[in-house]
Amino acid sequence: MRIYTYLSKKVGDLTIKYSNFPESYVKRSFEQVYWRTPKGYPQYTDAEVSRKKFRFTTNRPWTGAFARQNERGTLRKKVFVEPIKEWSFFKGDRVEILVGKDKGKQGIVAQVIQERNWVFVEGLNTHLRVVGKDKEFPGIVVQNEAPLLVTTDVKLVDPESLKATEVEWRYTEDGEKVRVSVSSSRIIPIPKAAEETTDYKSKELYIENPEKDTTADEAAKITFSPKLRTFEMDIMEEMGIKEDRVPAMSYWY
Amino acid sequence: MSFSLLRIIGRSTVTACTHLKNNTASLGVIFNSKIHTTGVRNDLMEFFDIKKNWNETDIKVGRAWKLDELRIKSNADLHMLWYVLLKERNMLYTMEHECNVNVRLFPNPERIDKVQESMNNIETVVRERNVAYYQLETGETGEQPVDDVINMFGLPEKYHRKEYHLPSFMNTRWVRPYLEHGYINSVSVKKFLRLYKEKLYNTKRKAKNRDFNHVQQLLKRFPNMDMDALKAAYPDVDLEKAKQSKKSRGHYVPKY
Repeated sequence: MRIYTYLSKKVGDLTIKYSNFPESYVKRSFEQVYWRTPKGYPQYTDAEVSRKKFRFTTNRPWTGAFARQNERGTLRKKVFVEPIKEWSFFKGDRVEILVGKDKGKQGIVAQVIQERNWVFVEGLNTHLRVVGKDKEFPGIVVQNEAPLLVTTDVKLVDPESLKATEVEWRYTEDGEKVRVSVSSSRIIPIPKAAEETTDYKSKELYIENPEKDTTADEAAKITFSPKLRTFEMDIMEEMGIKEDRVPAMSYWY
Repeated sequence: MSFSLLRIIGRSTVTACTHLKNNTASLGVIFNSKIHTTGVRNDLMEFFDIKKNWNETDIKVGRAWKLDELRIKSNADLHMLWYVLLKERNMLYTMEHECNVNVRLFPNPERIDKVQESMNNIETVVRERNVAYYQLETGETGEQPVDDVINMFGLPEKYHRKEYHLPSFMNTRWVRPYLEHGYINSVSVKKFLRLYKEKLYNTKRKAKNRDFNHVQQLLKRFPNMDMDALKAAYPDVDLEKAKQSKKSRGHYVPKY
């Protein structure tokens, strides 16, 4: 399940999926390297001085807000995050809240922050915040959702009984991995909203950039036919480059 | 076939689209028109993006080419795509530099990573094909031979052999491998290795202690946590020992 092994400890794979960025870009967008030994010189062993501790919040790692929150010299208290075997909460899921003032209510997951084991449920578990208060102006009251821990504060809702239930990951007969409700053994499908990224709501709705993109059916066209030739031999033949000189004897050491 | 892809690719089609819907209408137009009209500009302005994008703040593109998409393409197509990507990468680096000079934000810097990933994947596919050919014809991979050697600090290193027209015993200018210098038996190398090993051991020891303390704190905060997940995340930590410890007890009097 874990594809991004290098970043698995830091950035959640759902975050990378949501960003729709290459993994290497996510990495270089938030890393802070202060010193790195030059590459390719025998006198240096690989060494790097960089920031190791980052505070992950609702600010996504590639944003400026994240960089400001983790500025050089800022140190914040360590956050303990419970390890989870397999993540089973996705955007668009119906969940029941087990704690707080909205205990027992059901709602739709609006945001998932995997690095902190957080989900935000739309319109539930909220608090009021006064924004823009001034000497003359009393400010505006805004309602904000507070995060909920997936380990203890929320449970997925069974599609049959509409009650909170534990879930398990199992395989169907076709070999597909699915979430199954423990109480009724019904499959809980992963919602369409989980596909959403910063670029599009779902894959079908992506609009091609005619200047930069290869069209999907052009990319799917098969032009390869196996030949007993190396890449270079094939290209030379294609371009009409004839080479019949015999290379001199050479030694590899 | 090889040229049709170029025609579709046009000037700088670099990314494969993520969506799967058909787009034959616009495609047909491009196929039918024998004359390719997107500007061929053989001047230095090819290092810059098209003028339309100069003031853009968000230039959305698809994802990088995947290995499986490249494996179905002919060598000629890969060759062409490589140069399309190379030009695009040069363009992106130029635009990034230009943005930095003018103190402006470079739009969508992840495009560089996407192009680079596609180029790496092309290289992998070409290498796969060549290795297959050489394995079939000669029984060897045909790649540059790599040896495991001990370097002059006494540390293991990969030595990439190079091609010479003289055999090694005749080649006086060639520096022999480190091993034959006898450096790795010298006092200074031995001292270096001893200290280096101590350093490595210390980092390992500290990581072990750090993990153990972290697990204790986790147990204290989440007494009902999934022990299998904890074991999977910290395989080197002795969980029973951590549970017994005073640090893992929360602010309550134990029942036993």
